[in-house]
Amino acid sequence: MLVDAFFALLDIWVLVAAVSGIVAGIVIGAIPGLGPTMAIALLIPVTFSMDPIPAITLLLGVYQGAIFGGSISAILLNVPGTPSSAATAIDGYAMARAGQGGKALRIALFASVFGNIFSCLVLMMLAQPLASMALNFGPAEMATLMLFALTVIILFGGGAKLDAAIMVLVGICAGIIGLDPIEGTPRFTFDNFSLENGLQLIPVLVGLFAMSEVFLQLFNRPKVSAGTQEVPELLPSKVGLIEMWRMKTSLFLSSVIGTFIGILPGIGSTVPAFMSYSLARSRSREPSSFGKGAPEGVAAPEAANNAVTGGALIPTLALGIPGDAVTAVILGAFMLQGLAPGPFLFRDYGVEVYAIFEALLLSSIPCIIFGLLLFRVAVHVIRIQPRHLFPAITILALLGAFSVNNSMVDVWVMLGAGVVGFLLRRSGFPLPPLLIGLILGKSLEQSLRQALLTSGGSLEIFTASPIAAGFLVIIALCLIAAVVFHLKARNPSEKSATGDV
Amino acid sequence: MSVRLLKKLTAALAVSVTALTATVASAEEYPTRPVTIIVPYGAGGTTDISARKLAAMAEPLLGQPVVVENRPGGSGTNAMRSVSAAKPDGYTLIATTSSPLFVTPALRPVGYDPVKDFVPVLNYSGPFHGVLVKADSPYQNIDELIGAAKSGSALTYGTAGAMGGAHLAFTSVSRETGAQLQHVPFDGAAAATAAVLGGHVNISLVPAYRDLVQDGQLRLLAVLDGTRDPDFPDVPTLKDAGYDVEFPSVVGVVAPAGTDPAIVSKLEQVFTQVATSAEYKEFMAKLNQPVRIMTGEELGETIARNLEVYRALAKEMGQAK
Repeated sequence: MLVDAFFALLDIWVLVAAVSGIVAGIVIGAIPGLGPTMAIALLIPVTFSMDPIPAITLLLGVYQGAIFGGSISAILLNVPGTPSSAATAIDGYAMARAGQGGKALRIALFASVFGNIFSCLVLMMLAQPLASMALNFGPAEMATLMLFALTVIILFGGGAKLDAAIMVLVGICAGIIGLDPIEGTPRFTFDNFSLENGLQLIPVLVGLFAMSEVFLQLFNRPKVSAGTQEVPELLPSKVGLIEMWRMKTSLFLSSVIGTFIGILPGIGSTVPAFMSYSLARSRSREPSSFGKGAPEGVAAPEAANNAVTGGALIPTLALGIPGDAVTAVILGAFMLQGLAPGPFLFRDYGVEVYAIFEALLLSSIPCIIFGLLLFRVAVHVIRIQPRHLFPAITILALLGAFSVNNSMVDVWVMLGAGVVGFLLRRSGFPLPPLLIGLILGKSLEQSLRQALLTSGGSLEIFTASPIAAGFLVIIALCLIAAVVFHLKARNPSEKSATGDV
Repeated sequence: MSVRLLKKLTAALAVSVTALTATVASAEEYPTRPVTIIVPYGAGGTTDISARKLAAMAEPLLGQPVVVENRPGGSGTNAMRSVSAAKPDGYTLIATTSSPLFVTPALRPVGYDPVKDFVPVLNYSGPFHGVLVKADSPYQNIDELIGAAKSGSALTYGTAGAMGGAHLAFTSVSRETGAQLQHVPFDGAAAATAAVLGGHVNISLVPAYRDLVQDGQLRLLAVLDGTRDPDFPDVPTLKDAGYDVEFPSVVGVVAPAGTDPAIVSKLEQVFTQVATSAEYKEFMAKLNQPVRIMTGEELGETIARNLEVYRALAKEMGQAK
């Protein structure tokens, strides 16, 4: 089957589709506000008349390319192109400011390719068993998993834990706006129809990260003249294999996290990126370098968010059950090509499906080639004076927010989030936990309430399920570990105990 | 100088456009410019893809481009509101579904009246919603299921979301029979399907079940629609099984109220011709979507009747404002 599939790939159109998909994806992903969902939806009509294999290869190439593309603007501009690259921005931008932009981009590229290949292999080999595993995750299991994700991000995400906890809670509270997920009654919408869907992720993201950066620069005017600001030297950007090899455990663990969370419905790629970042930081020998330009801080989230792509395709293809908007659109594309995802896909269309997977694996090659070519140009962005760059970012932010739903409300939300982000950054609060709180808040509430509805209000459902109970135990262990570490770190230097709570 | 020229040009253009729109009243000439079909959901979904195909195939018949525009948000109500306020000249239409046509408007203020503010053109699709249980579930038919919920413990059922058509339909079954049915809303039909497959709820009321049923993972006990699913002709509708409820799933085109009846009938004739064609049916079969034709009149009756039913039901449930 694998060989038949390989022969099916020997078609110039498959190559053209793979290359153009990846390139289009990278470019679209790099533009804040335009994500993979929109890119794929726009390209579906183009694929109507194409053969199944090139058509799907093109769309999946866009998917992978866009997830990676988001990290380019995250690293160079501190403006995540997609929500999932927000974690990459933390150390990626720090590296770029130190002149290591090229290096950060390369690390991101190699880590992305690693994550893609890893999850694609998992998809090829374990799609059926893992899809059944995903079904074991009901409301109770999802609720405890999300609680676990929040715990990890608060405890190991870096910075003061209290600050992170506050930000997570702010995010969760912001998620209350919109229709109640169980009753369907509007909450805090003030009879405004546009708020019924709640705060949209992309406007909030663009506001928090991109607009707030503009505001920061606006109020951080250099005291002298705006003549020449420090433009970082471009340092040589070679990344040796040895350096990537040193991160192998991080890359592997991050890919596992990304693939696994990708399989589960509705969490998306932002949360695993931050979880991997937190994990890499807690495993690192020098966690203090994180946030100041640690290469692993770029590699871990990039491997994770790209690994999500393969994971997310598992339930989509094996069961016909998409976990999020992107995979729902991809599901439609498969159907249009006559390859109806579901239990019969692998049986009836094995050759086509494996050919598509192989094309995905092989498209790592054009991804690296075009990525490296693109970087040669892209790194120079860092040398553009901020006062020339920020008007462009502002326009992109406005456009990006508007284009989600063609709604002005989203633009106001974006600007509001920009002001909030500016104030929070000025006062030293970390923004990522806020984003995670917003992403997970509503889902957590929904899962929790669904679980209690199915159990008739009994909390036993969280201990009766081995998976849910397991997560609760891990959460408890994490909390204990954090307390122990804290006490240990404090005891020897009791006198100089600084307030790193 | 070029600016002045530009201004002049713009003014000329504006005048000609106004003149054009003024003269276009007559239906014989319709359409003289591109027709826009709004889709109230995001690009790439089944409603969007099926509307795009409908539009593409209608183009040669109408002799003008037919543009599909996505305006998602508010479970489809945002787009409905904006189309209800659009000029009723036949150039702005909406391809819409049950939820914004008669479910959501029955529950809360949406800013439009689905009956008064629109003229129905035709119905062309509508996915069948089924009552599904896991294959190893003890319930072989809908009566056993309801019987068990009447005498034993409460059964849980998942749907695509709070206060959707499926939820309201089963609430009505539960009221009518006294069966203990506990609703668990999910975020979309896919999640509700996963929940019944994983055994987290006893029942799910979802569309797009064909392959999972044929594969023996799920069992279809009944359909919520008024007619049987042609893929499963032996499975009764809820009505057939003796429960007086139905959730008719519609996907149709409607125009703003006040559109010239001659234009509406021309559109109805063109879209019906497209939707009944073999090419369109084949396309929809690939998408796992049925082609279900209703005339504009029938669609209008369905909307009006169900709006009343759901309003009454919502009032009983204490949800209506």
